[in-house]
Amino acid sequence: MTNYIIRRILLMFPTLLGMTLVTFLIMGLSPGGVGGTLLNAQGTMKAEAAKAQREYLERRFGLNKPLIVQYVRWLNEISPVGFETGSDQNGGTFRWLKTPDLGYSFSKGRPVASMVAEALPITLLLNVVTLPITILIALAAGIFAARRKGGVIDVASGTVLLALWSIPTIWAGVMLIGFLANRNYLYWFPTGGLHDTLADSMSFLPMHGPGGWYRGWLLDTCWHLALPVICLTYGGFAFLARLTRGAILDNLASDYARTARAKGLDERTTLFRHVFRNSLLPLITFSAGILPALLSGAVVVEYIFSIHGMGLLILDGVRARDRELVLDEALVVGFVGLVSYLLADILYAVADPRVSYE
Amino acid sequence: MSSGAGPIYPLAVSPAEAPAEHRSYFAEVARDAVAPRSAKLALAWIACVAAMAVLAPLIANSNPCLINMDGHWSSPLLRSLNWTDLALLIVAVVGGALGCVRRKKFWPNMTLLAACLIVMSVVYGFFGPPPQNVVYEQYRDAMRQGRVQFVLHAPIPYSPSDRFRDEPDTRLLPPSRHHLLGTEAFGADVLSRMIHACRIILAMGFVASGIAVIIGVVVGGLMGYFSGIVDILGMRLIEIFEAIPTLFLMITLVAFFPSEDYRLLMLMVIIGITGWTGYARFTRAEYLSLRSRDFVQAAQAAGLPLHSVLFRHMLPNGITPVVINLSFGIAAAIIAESTLSFLQLGVIDQPSWGAMLSQATGQGGDFLWWMALFPGLAIFLTVFAYVLLGESVNDALDPRRRR
Repeated sequence: MTNYIIRRILLMFPTLLGMTLVTFLIMGLSPGGVGGTLLNAQGTMKAEAAKAQREYLERRFGLNKPLIVQYVRWLNEISPVGFETGSDQNGGTFRWLKTPDLGYSFSKGRPVASMVAEALPITLLLNVVTLPITILIALAAGIFAARRKGGVIDVASGTVLLALWSIPTIWAGVMLIGFLANRNYLYWFPTGGLHDTLADSMSFLPMHGPGGWYRGWLLDTCWHLALPVICLTYGGFAFLARLTRGAILDNLASDYARTARAKGLDERTTLFRHVFRNSLLPLITFSAGILPALLSGAVVVEYIFSIHGMGLLILDGVRARDRELVLDEALVVGFVGLVSYLLADILYAVADPRVSYE
Repeated sequence: MSSGAGPIYPLAVSPAEAPAEHRSYFAEVARDAVAPRSAKLALAWIACVAAMAVLAPLIANSNPCLINMDGHWSSPLLRSLNWTDLALLIVAVVGGALGCVRRKKFWPNMTLLAACLIVMSVVYGFFGPPPQNVVYEQYRDAMRQGRVQFVLHAPIPYSPSDRFRDEPDTRLLPPSRHHLLGTEAFGADVLSRMIHACRIILAMGFVASGIAVIIGVVVGGLMGYFSGIVDILGMRLIEIFEAIPTLFLMITLVAFFPSEDYRLLMLMVIIGITGWTGYARFTRAEYLSLRSRDFVQAAQAAGLPLHSVLFRHMLPNGITPVVINLSFGIAAAIIAESTLSFLQLGVIDQPSWGAMLSQATGQGGDFLWWMALFPGLAIFLTVFAYVLLGESVNDALDPRRRR
């Protein structure tokens, strides 16, 4: 197992390199290349600012160098192992450990690392809340449908799940925020953000104070999370529920389930003691598959509900055509995605003793 | 997959050598696929969207069909049709007629259709109206001044780009008798824009997934056929593309390759080149199992060129998983276009359901429910139709579930 994990981690690097290379090529081949921000802002930028930006880009990428050299220079900057680059252009001494420098975003006027450090936990929070809810509902719906196989309820729930899966997130988000979080309609939920403006002064748990009940930080966050989480959940659980139903039906028809029935177990015990755990396996594989999809879904959901996570940061970077920001986002998003795939594979091996990666 | 283990079915059996009631495998699958009621409804909706797309300028147009102004009869609507409108109409009418009358002859029909299009282009080039800036207000002004003796409007007398500059009050109206689905932020009629948007959604679905299928089948086919180092390198490429979230790749490409003139085409290409990996995986798997089969080796031994072996002999036997997923791919392409337009990275100014949806939560905190409900419902129904169709094709091709 340890061997396998180490091999997988080593295999992550070529994929990560490939992903950043693809993103870098998009930047580099686009009009203006990596120095495109200089062109965009020409005329609107003060001379000193333009000069500072040009010097920065020259030092970091080498604007007149070939594309591949630019890419390698950028890799050197973001990797923890490499040449220490100072103010001089010809590179510095080789270090085995240095601080990775994610660079500076000129459109935001901030170092990228600090922005990612702010945004990533928010998106991860969204996903961490979403995933268990998705899986729980999917399991419940899948078992519910599988136990009524072929009945009216099963067929109806199959169609409803298919319909749920087809609802575009943009529509669900707009309808929810429009009807449930608008002053002119039902104003049950906040219109955006992740916390109330006064959240910093709230106590953590709900409490009774001089002016009545205060909802506290935790409840406030849940209240703000409700609509975005609904938007992120329904597509995934519709997909996973169909998968669960199929897996349970396959397992119920298998030999070991027949043996269980033959030794006198009732249908309920057969399902929950024998079939249930075996039906979880495809769920684990596909849960990993929906994690990157959740990151993508976060772009839309964070845009609709104005939550300042990775999704909105990606949109901001792309809108401003901020090369540095977009490159680092590709790196971070790719890394998170690959780690989640790895986690799923490990989980799979833990859940299924037959799986051996040796 | 299903066809890999089963017998090899001929792509089509010509009627001369087949028994009278024998149908080709694909014809049988197609019949099974549209048998469920859900598939019929889905097809009906897609046909409805297609009809809207073809007839859009005839259904929703500010230019009257027939007008008698100052004693002169004219048809501004017919004069306003551009090349695309006419080409679509000719393809629909001629193609439909040929399909009904002589359905067996595919290639002659295609040639005839192409000939019609070329003749139409030449005629249009010589006699068509010169491109002009249409002033929609002129007919309304003329009617107010009483210069119009007779007028016959289109069923929905508003063009998608008719912004009612002469009537500023028409902005952001909820549905009413005049504007059945309301008006948008710039005063254009929502229903008219929705009808014209059918074109984008249909074209996007077919062209974008067509591009994805072509890339996927070629890459996957080469990988499966050659295996070895080509396969290993190809799989790494697929893994890299699958590790980048599709939406991230799409918005990056759209933002960094802005194209003012060919924006729609660019969008199709971008959605196509971000969605090919699945098709490549399926084709690779099929080809890996097909390459050692007798008929492939016979084709190789006969000295056929590579493209013939790959695409004439292997493809018909290995296309099944691609066909199963094509419908889902079209649905994904439609969602992709709507999402990009919703994020204001898609089409500009042209009517698009996703872009209209993004106007629903306007500035100032208003919620324009008609801008959210109708375009969103249209996207949902179209996606749902393709998903239902995909499910039913899936069932029809699944040997375990076949009757």
